[in-house]
Amino acid sequence: MLRYLIVLLAMLLPLKVFAITAPGVIKKSQAVLLYSGKDFKARVSMKIIIKSGQERIRELTMLRKNYGDVSGDQKYFMYFFQPADVRNMTFMVYKYPTKDDDRWMFIPAINMTRRIAAQDNRSSFVGSDFTYEDISGRDIENDDHSIIKEENNCYVIKSAPKTGDMEYSYKLSWIDKTNFLPIKEEYYDKKNELYKVFTAEEIKDIKGFPTIVKRTMTNLHTGSRTEVAFTKVDYNIGIEDSLFSERFLKQPPKKWIE
Amino acid sequence: MKKLSLVEFSVNHPKLIVWIIVILTIIFMTQFPKVKIDTNPKNMLPKTSDVRVWNDEVEKTFGLYEDMIVVGISQENGVLNRETLGKIQRITEDILKLKGVATRDVNSFTTITNVTAEEDILKVAPLMTGVPKTDNEITVLKKMLFENPMFVDRIISKDGKTTAIYVPLEKGSNGKVIADNIREIVKKEKGIEKYYIAGDPVARDTFGAVMFKLMAIFAPIAMFVMLAVRYFMFRDLFLSITLMMDAMISIVWSMGLLIALGFPIHIMSSMAPVFLMAIATDSIHIFNEFYFRYKENKDKKRAIIDTMNAVGRPVRYTALATAAGFAVLLFMNIIPVKVFGGLIAFGAVILRILSFSFIPAMFTFVKEENIAKIAASEDIESGWSSKFLKKLAGFGIYKTKTTVIVGLVLFIISLIGISKIVVNNNMVEWFKKNSEVRSADTVMNQSLGGTSLGYVVGIANEDEYIKTPEAMRYIEGLQRHLEKLPIVGKTTSVVDYVKRMNRVLHNNDPKYDSVPETKEIIGQYLFLFSMSAKSSDLDNVVDFSFRKANIWVQLKTWNARTMEDVIKAVDEYKKTNPTPMEFKPSGPAYFNFIWNNEVLWDMVKGFIMALIVVLIILSFNFRSIKWAIVGYSPLLFTVILIYGVVGFVGKDFDMPISVLSCLSLGMAVDFAIHFIGRFKQRLAEIRNTEVRTKKPDEILIDSLLWTAKRPGKGIMRNAVLFGASFSVMIFAPLTPYITVGAFIVSMMMLSALMTIIYVPALIMLLRSWLFKDGVK
Repeated sequence: MLRYLIVLLAMLLPLKVFAITAPGVIKKSQAVLLYSGKDFKARVSMKIIIKSGQERIRELTMLRKNYGDVSGDQKYFMYFFQPADVRNMTFMVYKYPTKDDDRWMFIPAINMTRRIAAQDNRSSFVGSDFTYEDISGRDIENDDHSIIKEENNCYVIKSAPKTGDMEYSYKLSWIDKTNFLPIKEEYYDKKNELYKVFTAEEIKDIKGFPTIVKRTMTNLHTGSRTEVAFTKVDYNIGIEDSLFSERFLKQPPKKWIE
Repeated sequence: MKKLSLVEFSVNHPKLIVWIIVILTIIFMTQFPKVKIDTNPKNMLPKTSDVRVWNDEVEKTFGLYEDMIVVGISQENGVLNRETLGKIQRITEDILKLKGVATRDVNSFTTITNVTAEEDILKVAPLMTGVPKTDNEITVLKKMLFENPMFVDRIISKDGKTTAIYVPLEKGSNGKVIADNIREIVKKEKGIEKYYIAGDPVARDTFGAVMFKLMAIFAPIAMFVMLAVRYFMFRDLFLSITLMMDAMISIVWSMGLLIALGFPIHIMSSMAPVFLMAIATDSIHIFNEFYFRYKENKDKKRAIIDTMNAVGRPVRYTALATAAGFAVLLFMNIIPVKVFGGLIAFGAVILRILSFSFIPAMFTFVKEENIAKIAASEDIESGWSSKFLKKLAGFGIYKTKTTVIVGLVLFIISLIGISKIVVNNNMVEWFKKNSEVRSADTVMNQSLGGTSLGYVVGIANEDEYIKTPEAMRYIEGLQRHLEKLPIVGKTTSVVDYVKRMNRVLHNNDPKYDSVPETKEIIGQYLFLFSMSAKSSDLDNVVDFSFRKANIWVQLKTWNARTMEDVIKAVDEYKKTNPTPMEFKPSGPAYFNFIWNNEVLWDMVKGFIMALIVVLIILSFNFRSIKWAIVGYSPLLFTVILIYGVVGFVGKDFDMPISVLSCLSLGMAVDFAIHFIGRFKQRLAEIRNTEVRTKKPDEILIDSLLWTAKRPGKGIMRNAVLFGASFSVMIFAPLTPYITVGAFIVSMMMLSALMTIIYVPALIMLLRSWLFKDGVK
């Protein structure tokens, strides 16, 4: 009788591990990666390097403010410094977790603000190897998540899109057990071949928030990669709601963009 | 007389000779499993060649692909209906999953980037994200398609009946394999739509695959026919097979050596077996003579040695001429051309050695009574063929002037024909008109912008220049200029995107379908576009630093020369419109153009050099330049006549023709060498015995007639044998094989006729000049 009891206990033991679910890990990871603080500011410099070795620079200030809880609404404001001919261009996004984003762009050369349709979150962000989704996150509900293994103090989670209209068939994420930031992500295409790799090169603690300050996305198909560095990172700086308006899109306040 | 000793040795130790040859053949055969095949004509130019390096660079700079398949879908009532659109969606979806397809850059209704403004919202998105559910949605789609000039002629035909899916291939993918997969995909769809799969990689890789199959079918068939014809001629199966083996052995040895040396078998070298079979037929002269000799003295061994005495010299020189003619190709630039030349030269040398060892050895195994039987029928006076040959030669001898004048007229007419020859290569035209590959291409080129693709790369001398309005306007002007060429179906450049953005941002006002005023506007438009488009959209048309712009030029034909017209048009435009930009051609069509020039002109050069080398060898053989010229005339005449016809028929001087020109060299000169060589021998013999009883002219005529009847029979046999075997090829499904068949048949017949009619005619006409210093 005792023997059976021990066996039964042994079978129950792993349940403690099961308490950590894949969607739970992903949710926690998104909270750390995309929702840290009430608001957030960084100077982002992107270096897009294509196969031939040619480089393209994108430099912008990114401001973000959270509305509501983790995976709630967010607003983004971006001001471009580089390339030179797009200086003063601004870009604003209202992000809603359950419906399409609203996006606006200000085109200084013709002094025009335009709404931009937010159709595909998988399209490239400003011509880089990152997609809009990589920048602002993907709805957890859109994928089936499962922990496939644990290694190097990471959960390795497989996320497969529920609908088949994605350009990748699944993604593997290595999520750090301590700070819940993704250390590495691998994207597999419809032929189940690895084609895109995300890596976090440097993580800094800023105001108590672990922040990836250097990251790279490499596209194995095209042979290009985009290196992103965050500088002047700050959290909880008190960005006003009024910033996220068409008026400021045309004339962004200096104190926020510099 | 070193060779004779080989003959004697072989006759005395026939078994040993046969064993040695069998063992050597087995050794060469062991190399066969290591065979590597390379059917890609592209590899005729090395990876380090300028055009490949430059094309690679352009591909890298603009993220382009070497190869693209174009899938056409047409529906006679228009493709813009729910069913057809559903099919387009499903087919595209399946194509995206194929291995070897560059998925991210496939352009179809569901993947191509469209820029629109709906209710003030700028939308940069794939044209069709889902199949329209209502008629209204179809009307919207129709409007979007036809109001965007970037779509018309590219993914929708003007009449709306045809659409295309552009499928770029990853490096190293096989176009035929992918085309076959796509065929499987479209087969699943029912309905009245028609599907066309076109493009250079389809033609090229299909050709490569079919070619090897055909070689495997036609070489044995040709061989079998040859065997049958031989048996008919000599009535001895054993000897017919011997002749066959002679060719087989040389093929095995030379191909074995090629494989052992690690060379892949290219399109050209795959033709080597056929060539060697052609060259091997020369040994028929040995057989021919052998029967006559046997009839004369009834001693087998004696007859063999006598035969070799008589025909040894011509056989040696024909082999030498052939080998030298092909060896010249070793000095060409293109590696597969060199390999091909070396291969055939080696094979020709092997054939010559076999003629002096293997063939005499095999003769000793034939039963005497068999030989006697056949030899009895070899009579130069009574046989119908001998009579016919006598008549032919007689025509040349007695009607010298008529013959020569007719010849001269033909010669001049042929020269006019030759002047019309166009050096060109069009792989799609290697397929028959009603073949799937070719008709797909024809249909697609009729309804859309073109399946052949070339690039014109504009290079400025500073970064960011492409964004300036003057660069934009210049490129736009150049595009319109190029589109005036009838062979250009469509051009696409960065300017098209800029103009599209300008118009869409200004509420679709056609007034704004133009290049904007300032560099800032252009820069910001492009940035805005790149925020939502596929990154390849812009990368394909501008480089990262905006120093280079790539104009896509869709061409309606795969003719290598069309790109020349494009290049000329660009230069023309540049002359009248100066610009700091430099324009360089690139892309698959440009590659074909360069390939055409390099490979085909290399062959032309090699051919001309070979002609000279053969003339030199002839003068060594006859120890007289005068006789060399006479001996050379049938070759020259045959070549000129054939190319005259090629010119008049309007057939391009393409790759198969260029390869065949070398063959004509090897073959046509053989007959003359035999004829003149044997004629001189005969003349010397008669002079020694009958000189006192006959006039010199009579001796001359007698000798000529004898030569026409006896070695002439060998020549005729050779020609018929070969012509018969290769006439089979006329039934091949690929035009190059038909060309090869027709070419070989006409070449053999012509050169035999030329030798038998014109050599006597020329000898008669020039007798005082030729014999000025007596007979040598």
